[in-house]
Amino acid sequence: MSPLPARAPRAWLTEPVESGPSAGFGVYLHVPFCHHRCGYCDFATAAVGDRGADDQQALFVRYVTALTTDLGHQVAAGRRAHAAAADRDALDPRWPEVTSVFVGGGTPTLLGGPLLADVVRAVGRELDVAPGAEVTVECNPETASVELFAALVDAGVTRVSMGAQSFAPHVLATLERGHTPQRPVEAIAQAREAGIAELNLDLIYGTPGETAADWRRTLETVLAAGTDHVSAYALTIHDNTAFGRAVAAGRLPTVDEDVQRDRFEVAREVLGAGGFEHYEVSNWSLGPARRSRHNLLYWRHGDYLGVGVGAHAHLTGRRWWTTRSTDRYLAAVEDGASPIAGSEELTDTERAEERLLLGLRLRDGLHPNDVPRIEPLALADAMAVGLVETACGRLRCTETGWFLLDDAVTRLLP
Amino acid sequence: MTYAIDRIRNFCIVAHVDHGKSTLADRMLQLTELVDPRKMRDQYLDKMDIERERGITIKAQAARLPYLPLGEAGGEYLLNLIDTPGHVDFSYEVSRALNACEGAVLLVDAAQGMEAQTIANLYLAVEADLEIIPVLNKIDLPAARPDEVAREIASIIGGEPEDVLRISAKTGEGVREVLDAIVDRVPPPKGDLDGPPRALIFDSIYDPYRGTLVYFRVVDGSFRPGDKIHLMATGFEGEIDDLGVHSPEETPIDALGVGEVGVLSAAIKDVAQAKVGDTITLAGKGWEAVPRLPGYREPLPMVFSGVYPIDSDDFPQLREALDKLRLNDASFSFEPETSAALGFGFRCGFLGLLHLEIVIERLDREFDIPLITTAPSVRYRVVMERDDPETGEPRVLSVSNPQDLPEPNQIRAIEEPTVLAMILTPSEYVGKVMQLCEGRRGTMIAMDYPTEERVELRYLLPLASIITDFFDTLKSISRGYASLDYEIGDYVAADLVRVDLLLNGEPVDAFSAIVHRDDAYAFGRSMVETLKELIPRQMFDVPVQAAIGAKIIARETIKAKRKDVLAKCYGGDVSRKRKLLEKQKEGKKKMKSVGSVEVPQEAFVSALRSGSAKSDS
Ligand SMILES: Nc1nc2c(ncn2[C@@H]2O[C@H](COP(=O)(O)OP(=O)(O)OP(=O)(O)O)[C@@H](O)[C@H]2O)c(=O)[nH]1
Ligand SMILES: C[S@@+](CC[C@H](N)C(=O)[O-])C[C@H]1O[C@@H](n2cnc3c(N)ncnc32)[C@H](O)[C@@H]1O
Ligand code: SF4
Ligand SMILES: [Mg+2]
Repeated sequence: MSPLPARAPRAWLTEPVESGPSAGFGVYLHVPFCHHRCGYCDFATAAVGDRGADDQQALFVRYVTALTTDLGHQVAAGRRAHAAAADRDALDPRWPEVTSVFVGGGTPTLLGGPLLADVVRAVGRELDVAPGAEVTVECNPETASVELFAALVDAGVTRVSMGAQSFAPHVLATLERGHTPQRPVEAIAQAREAGIAELNLDLIYGTPGETAADWRRTLETVLAAGTDHVSAYALTIHDNTAFGRAVAAGRLPTVDEDVQRDRFEVAREVLGAGGFEHYEVSNWSLGPARRSRHNLLYWRHGDYLGVGVGAHAHLTGRRWWTTRSTDRYLAAVEDGASPIAGSEELTDTERAEERLLLGLRLRDGLHPNDVPRIEPLALADAMAVGLVETACGRLRCTETGWFLLDDAVTRLLP
Repeated sequence: MTYAIDRIRNFCIVAHVDHGKSTLADRMLQLTELVDPRKMRDQYLDKMDIERERGITIKAQAARLPYLPLGEAGGEYLLNLIDTPGHVDFSYEVSRALNACEGAVLLVDAAQGMEAQTIANLYLAVEADLEIIPVLNKIDLPAARPDEVAREIASIIGGEPEDVLRISAKTGEGVREVLDAIVDRVPPPKGDLDGPPRALIFDSIYDPYRGTLVYFRVVDGSFRPGDKIHLMATGFEGEIDDLGVHSPEETPIDALGVGEVGVLSAAIKDVAQAKVGDTITLAGKGWEAVPRLPGYREPLPMVFSGVYPIDSDDFPQLREALDKLRLNDASFSFEPETSAALGFGFRCGFLGLLHLEIVIERLDREFDIPLITTAPSVRYRVVMERDDPETGEPRVLSVSNPQDLPEPNQIRAIEEPTVLAMILTPSEYVGKVMQLCEGRRGTMIAMDYPTEERVELRYLLPLASIITDFFDTLKSISRGYASLDYEIGDYVAADLVRVDLLLNGEPVDAFSAIVHRDDAYAFGRSMVETLKELIPRQMFDVPVQAAIGAKIIARETIKAKRKDVLAKCYGGDVSRKRKLLEKQKEGKKKMKSVGSVEVPQEAFVSALRSGSAKSDS
């Protein structure tokens, strides 16, 4: 019997089975406009609600032009130009086929059907999109209509992700959302009618004032709405937001850890009973085929381009991102300059850190060949306290460890 | 140039904290045109980083000012100024400064009025037989009450309110008059011009480039570079390499005569060889016949705390750092000790809480060793049941680490150090102040009305009571107006017990404290509550208990943590997620694993501080 060939120490980076380049290749496009900035939100957005309709339209047209220009430039620069210096020469200069496209926000649907369709089509003009690729657009319920979705289907959109957040009116009020509780359910029906194949609803739990009953009812409403995917996020309060300032001033209670954990358990229970598989800390789908492929790409440490304001990109160990200011973004692109605001080349240790912190978010964890080197003592410790486990050689979180993931990962790190 | 002895005036500036001593020194430096205007900065003589950041003086500083009064025909005077610290922890610096002078400027903030250190320093100056020049400062402040405060001052030191000078050290108004008063009223130094040279060491510090620097004042005769000196207490002998004065930067000088203040270096390798208070004389024949000058009482460490490296590998570096710090600050002490919870460390002794804080801050800043400091404690005298077989007297232990307290059945009595506290307060707060002192086991000794609005309270208090949050509480109950000064008193017997704290059933020696039996329950309760707040939730439930011996007196549980993940949609921004995680990891490195429980650094100190705060109410 011949011994197994010894794997090279960097094989988890150079020959991954599911991770990194093996996970596919995506394009993220950011649309930074919102009608109003919600109190908890720290995404790159610009509130445009107080502008006149013409003014808004002119801005949107300018932005879409800049976005497509930016995409064109990033693609034209070539794959090697974006790679880490050390990996540059070994890299195939051709762009791979795009396996997922994600148009996120902000509120992309504020652009309206035709402009948004232009954004989606731009990807197909610049790169080869794989047959059957997932093409997602984020949608705010109050902006939805059958015409809008029809225009998107026409442009190749396969999936819509809608921000419902809650179905309790007082929670929506606290979250400063501009839609009624019924609206997301209607909007999902409209999307289905227009022929969007995959549908997701985003929820937020643990909002101050939300009761256990509110949350249960929200989950039940989601089941009734008939989507194939649900994302449920624990409310995170950032210092630099209206909520952060309200908490600092004592006007808003902080989010309670125990409440969040209780809500998490209820979500697992209700969605599980509704046939949903809990495949990532905050994500559920009706079976493996309906998982969000673009988000899987992130968690599997994959490569993706990022276009638009405040967009992030990754290519085998190098990350870069664009400015968070819409004004600066427009000025740069219109000037023929680069909107890129920063970049970093990761060390192998940092890449190992990322591989773990992303990969362990998935219920399936990491393929044995994709696991970075971990100190045996650190692994033994994390296993002994019941945070991680191995299953058929895969490294993954335990049921308890999942919601204590940061602890698990910091224990595994050097 | 050398000055005739009747042209020399030695004076210091003394006052309560923040009444403006260093700022007045600034104006004097400017008026005598000693500092290049471009290099001038506020509190010029406060040179240490910590002094500048905290805006306080820690070390007394000398400066030599040539001064020509307006219209003076007889030539320049030489004024030797010593700026002193105001904080009570450093009052020994004031005593030394007073010993090197014939006069003292007693500075009083015209808005604050007399405060405890004003009175304490006044008494010290009177005891040292100095000419006192009372000066009202900060008359530019809108809140200044110069007439009222001048009356207060006059009623305490005698004289007329009109004689109190009024100045603003900020604007410079009236500063020339202060210098003139010094020339007129402070007597010149006395000494034997031709006798055998004698000088008093009032400070010595270690300079990494030049070895030990000795600050001294000439009492008799004179000294020159090249002179071979003899230090009477330690027997050190060596040649003066450099002789200098501060004007205010160090400047070489070819001779220093009676009454002058200067600095010398003489290849003294160890600062311990140049003891503060020692007498310098010339080596060679006859030094045995020279009478020694009265020295100083050495300041004794009063407050103790365990100092441990978080990472036990840092122990040798910590020892080295403490050695280095001590070279410049002989007033703190340290000796190795071990703790079951914290490993190897040192028990360090400090003059007071501010001193403790400053030393710890310097360790952190200058040596960058992550540390845990345990709650401050005092040194107890423990009289044992069993007599010493040799002397037949009861054995007495000195205990500054609660862990070293013997079993109760072996102890005959425990005595604790006390302080004689003097509190000066506006009369409206006197009730609250008395309540505070009584709550901290104080005994009133006297109550006086130095002026109509002010009450002077004298209390005998356990030192242990004032090394927690006593001062902060005093300030808060009096809206900042009451002030505190204290001297060390005798040891007094008290009914004391040790309260232990247990995490997850295991005693954590570093949390133990010696407290009065009557306070033990309240203390134990507030400790378990505070620890529950400070220790983050762990992977499992952690019981926190307080106990006297085997008896549990309070209990709380830190519930297992249930959420520790960023369960929010971050999209492709992985860098941010990674950085957050790296921060968490750094935070964890600052925790100490005690048994299987991760305890943050702050828990070791702040637990006890807030513990006593709560038992107040
Ligand atoms: N308005 C006003 N402020 C002053 C005057 N003199 C000093 N101050 C301010 O009072 C504060 C304390 O001044 P310092 O000179 O540091 O006081 P100090 O007495 O040396 O303080 P310690 O050395 O800590 O005892 C500083 O903020 C000064 O700017 C004055 O005449 N008028
Ligand atoms: C990129 S955001 C914006 C999508 C869309 N504009 C909306 O608000 O519906 C995607 C999702 O992240 C979640 N989210 C945003 N901010 C959050 C926060 N502070 N805490 C938890 N979840 C948050 C919301 O569920 C939101 O739908
Ligand atoms: S609508 Fe969505 S992106 Fe816009 S501010 Fe609200 S949460 Fe943020
Ligand atoms: Mg000062």
